[in-house]
Amino acid sequence: MYRYDDFDHGFVAERASQFRGQVERRLSGALTEEQFKPLRLQNGLYLQLHAYMLRIAIPYGVLSARQMRRLAFIARKWDRGFGHFTTRQNLQFNWTKLAEAPDIIDSLAEVEMHAIQTSGNCIRNVTADPFAGVAPDEIEDPRIWAEVLRQWSTIHPEFTFLPRKFKIAITGAAEDRAAILFHDIGLKIVKGPKNATGFRVYVGGGQGRTPYVAQEIAHFIPRNELLSYLEAIMRVYNLHGRRDNIYKARIKILVNALGIDGFRRQVDVEWARLDKAAIDLPSAEHERIAAAFMPLPLEAAPVKDAGVDARRRKDSSFDRWVRLNVVAHRVAGHSIVNISLKEPGKVPGDASAEQMEAVADLAEKFAHGEIRVTYQQNLVLPNVAVKDLAALYDGLNAAQIATANTELITDIIACPGLDYCNLANARAIPIAQAIAEKFADPVRAEDIGPLRLNISGCINACGHHHAGNIGILGVDKKGTEHYQITLGGSPKEDAEVGDILGPSFTAEHVPGAIETIIGTYMKSRKDKQETFLQAYRRLGKAPFREALYGPEKSKRGVDAETEASNV
Amino acid sequence: MPSVVTANVLRSGAVVYLTGNGQWVESLDSATVAADADALKRLETLALAAVEKTEVTAVYAMDVRVSAGRPEPVSVRERIRAAHKPTV
Repeated sequence: MYRYDDFDHGFVAERASQFRGQVERRLSGALTEEQFKPLRLQNGLYLQLHAYMLRIAIPYGVLSARQMRRLAFIARKWDRGFGHFTTRQNLQFNWTKLAEAPDIIDSLAEVEMHAIQTSGNCIRNVTADPFAGVAPDEIEDPRIWAEVLRQWSTIHPEFTFLPRKFKIAITGAAEDRAAILFHDIGLKIVKGPKNATGFRVYVGGGQGRTPYVAQEIAHFIPRNELLSYLEAIMRVYNLHGRRDNIYKARIKILVNALGIDGFRRQVDVEWARLDKAAIDLPSAEHERIAAAFMPLPLEAAPVKDAGVDARRRKDSSFDRWVRLNVVAHRVAGHSIVNISLKEPGKVPGDASAEQMEAVADLAEKFAHGEIRVTYQQNLVLPNVAVKDLAALYDGLNAAQIATANTELITDIIACPGLDYCNLANARAIPIAQAIAEKFADPVRAEDIGPLRLNISGCINACGHHHAGNIGILGVDKKGTEHYQITLGGSPKEDAEVGDILGPSFTAEHVPGAIETIIGTYMKSRKDKQETFLQAYRRLGKAPFREALYGPEKSKRGVDAETEASNV
Repeated sequence: MPSVVTANVLRSGAVVYLTGNGQWVESLDSATVAADADALKRLETLALAAVEKTEVTAVYAMDVRVSAGRPEPVSVRERIRAAHKPTV
């Protein structure tokens, strides 16, 4: 893992001390709320529905056991004993008191953490493949570049007041586990001429009110020119991005207004005139940062372990967990373990202080002390020896985090929704709970197969509903919570925005509607291998729509379309 | 529509409601309901003074229905907020 050097420590300590001063001045009345709000937001402190919320950065989703233990400590001492992992690989505390926030920030700084740039119109926490450095399908560890980007973008003077927030995601693998095509900039490490490593760059993706899949702006940027190229993109956006209308201020709107070719031309002109030598990363600095991410010296071992196999034969729950939550590591005899925070009936992404501590203990015991956070609001232990799987499973089971449902229908992404969020129009968590309980039978969920179901409580789409194979969007209709269903979205390399199926449902009808959709898929799939998404792409929305709303009649169809486009 | 003035306590963030004597209370039942624009104006003047004194922040008026003498929020959002906890 990257460890802070003296500069990092000094910088974070200085920011913590500034924040303490800002809070003191606010509490004394020296600062008005209007003056204070941008300052608190620069430190991730929001005022939500019931209380302040503190959003803590987990850079590219990487946590040490020590840091996880500190989050548990903070949850217990200053919050209500739990935290919420977010779709940006961050952690939110929902019950922060303003007067205590500086103590929390100090406590975080002690373990090399902070809440800087988790809000505001700046470059936010860079997110990455949670299997970085350990995935068999990876070209190069993206954490090195995520850390480079973290250092480059942190209080970058030019990019601190952008037209709007800016999100970058990076992967070094063939499979996209970071939803890079739904980011302002998506970076994919690829091989180029002479087997050199570089980046394929995508720009203009995003969800929210106007969802777009990112488009390729550069097929190959040599890695030693990445920073100047990104700086060129940021400059074109900073100059031409709209500041007159918050709904049109993201880079996706600019890219689509200019067209990708027009946008690329402007970036190329800007790139040509930048002083690249002053911006690009010196190779010595690359080596310094890369040294923090050297692969662990794991010894290859047999892929099969007799003890694990014997346990799998006699314990069907363990067997299912291995089948669904454990994936191959790049070193034989080791594995990547997904820890689900999606036990049916629980709040997706929430972890209690006790669960955080259990994960920290198990990470130290079985996983070299390293933990990852996924954008699907789960955790990962990236380095577990196959022979330790049963002992790890027993530890997770004791902490009630051994649910076997990775990427199944009950592994639901849900934003905090109207239960916590000031922006929400409708609740998301109770819908997620009701659906997860309906499909809680693990045999059935596994039979349904891979299915990404995402729920957002408003059009800002923190719950990634656009990218869900099944997406659910909460809307307010004359004071009542309604839910609109979309089908066919995908967050992966075949990224797509889901199609609105028809008129919205009230909360109590949503689980039944999902049941109908799943029933239609199960009846229509060619075989067990055809996933929900593949079947939807083959069949289109007609059979799902007919199953939900009845036979298509021209008048009703028109009404449904009109209503769907109006909400 | 009758209304109540609400805010968050500056130090803690807790949801509070205003009474006619300028006190901030956590129970919506104890809030003073403004039946008309003049009554609301009086509450808002008290609220602004509390903002000046850094007692509260994010002040606004919300619609209520009065039922059996008790104010009930009209919107789902305000019903959840008045409960001081999520519904889950």
